[in-house]
Amino acid sequence: MATTRDYGPDVYPGDAVGTWNEQEQSAYDSKSQRRAGRSRVDEWMEKDFKFGGSRIKRRAVALILLGAPAIAPLFFMLPATLTLNENTFSVSVDDTLGTGAELCLFLCLLVTPLVTLTGQRWFVPLRRWYGIMMACCAIGDAIAAGLTDTFAGGFFGVVAGHVFELMGFTMVLLVIPLLITGNPWAQRKLGRYWKKLHYLTYVIWGLLFFHLSLLEGFGFQRGSNGSGFPGDGEPIFHQRLYQYSAASLFLLTLRLPPVKRWIAARQSEGRNWVVYATIAPVFLLFVFAMTFIINEEIFKGINSFRETPSAE
Amino acid sequence: MDDFEDAPWESAVRTRPQRRGPTSQTYARRGEDDTRAGKVILVFVGVLSSVLVIAGLIYATGASARSKAAALAAGCELSLFKSGIPCITHQMVMSQYQAIVTPASNQLNADTAAYRANEGHNLVAAEAALTAEVTAEQALDNSLAAAAFTPQNRARAITLITNAMSFGNPVPLAAITFTPQMTVIADALVRDIQALAKLTAEQARSSSLRQLRSFNPSVDVATAAAQSELNLLRTAVAVPPTASQ
Repeated sequence: MATTRDYGPDVYPGDAVGTWNEQEQSAYDSKSQRRAGRSRVDEWMEKDFKFGGSRIKRRAVALILLGAPAIAPLFFMLPATLTLNENTFSVSVDDTLGTGAELCLFLCLLVTPLVTLTGQRWFVPLRRWYGIMMACCAIGDAIAAGLTDTFAGGFFGVVAGHVFELMGFTMVLLVIPLLITGNPWAQRKLGRYWKKLHYLTYVIWGLLFFHLSLLEGFGFQRGSNGSGFPGDGEPIFHQRLYQYSAASLFLLTLRLPPVKRWIAARQSEGRNWVVYATIAPVFLLFVFAMTFIINEEIFKGINSFRETPSAE
Repeated sequence: MDDFEDAPWESAVRTRPQRRGPTSQTYARRGEDDTRAGKVILVFVGVLSSVLVIAGLIYATGASARSKAAALAAGCELSLFKSGIPCITHQMVMSQYQAIVTPASNQLNADTAAYRANEGHNLVAAEAALTAEVTAEQALDNSLAAAAFTPQNRARAITLITNAMSFGNPVPLAAITFTPQMTVIADALVRDIQALAKLTAEQARSSSLRQLRSFNPSVDVATAAAQSELNLLRTAVAVPPTASQ
């Protein structure tokens, strides 16, 4: 679970916030103003409140509440794991854990754009937590698929026998070093290489596009032609590549340097409302896409939990 | 994994000012250009996103109608339709009705014929026929009740269908319930059959042939009432679903 420790910029090698000189800040950067803006929320989050006989930080409660749903994909598969229900694994593990890994990846990638937009940092520890849960879901998905899928070949034949599965397997291989080094000790030991290593997250994000495009294609189901079986007759909304693309547009746009500079400039002018108004459509598209991904996770997950897996 | 920071972008943002003097005109122009590029990107992405969201919302408002139309085109009973599982077709409901009623009717006809053959001279055989008739009537009642559209039956049906689906099997007959409209008639039929069974059981306890035959008029009335409801149910089952259902 995420700790309440502040993983602020100071602990990251190469995070240059603290090295900027005053002139640069006054000319171009709005960090100080954003920091002043965020500090109010961050400071509010740092305060304690009394709960029972002890005092708890507001931030700890908020982080637990926001982080807890990331356990859901693994929780959904728990009954099938305890009862070794091979049918549930073979039918729906890829949907439950695969979609869960995708969700956790998007939530992990969402943290930085939210820091850019709000200037707040109290939720930054969630990035690690969502990353860890993404890794656990992805590894669990690969192991279960390798053991229970009906494709020909042994474990490696199954997880790497088809190109889309090879993509997925590659993602799992890439996520392993991230999982192993996703802790302060590894961060200290690896020094400046730690950050470079963790750029692999973007490689995984990119590979997911190819994984889904090979799995789903670029079109959507018409009649019996096309992948998937949307029980509600709405194949467009259930096309995973479309969901991925719609959700990624926001995450990618907010990482583009010109966009970040424009946001910083507007924030330095004290016109945050312009930023929010401009970002609103792409954020709505992100929410729209995430709604369907979460819906699928809950639908498939509950069916997996009840061990009546949906082959939809 | 703590810091999935955007270092490539971050470094681009942060190192550029260090290369140029923050007060220089070049830097200022570049700064304007940089924010203009960001604005253009955001406007383009914003317009694209707006179009996609509006199109998605418009498309989503028609989801229910499209779903019904698709289900209807596939011959599905809309009142039994549940998203995510194979639909119950009208043909399947008819099969369920026939599976329940046909063997019961045959059994009841045989029992009635046996009773009619013995009512004048063989009390024991007539009572045995009546007892068999009561058993058949109770079995019919139970079958009709199991096929009624009730929350319990629907939950059981959905579980059976989901299990069948996960194993790639067709929808089992036991998972098919009547529609709500059919259930109203089936409930009335169940009540009529219960009344008939009670009367028949009483008739089967007669101590003489005369007493046995004295029940015939009231049994005939009860049978006619049940037959009437059965005809109504048959008519309801024979009518295929419409879009208004």
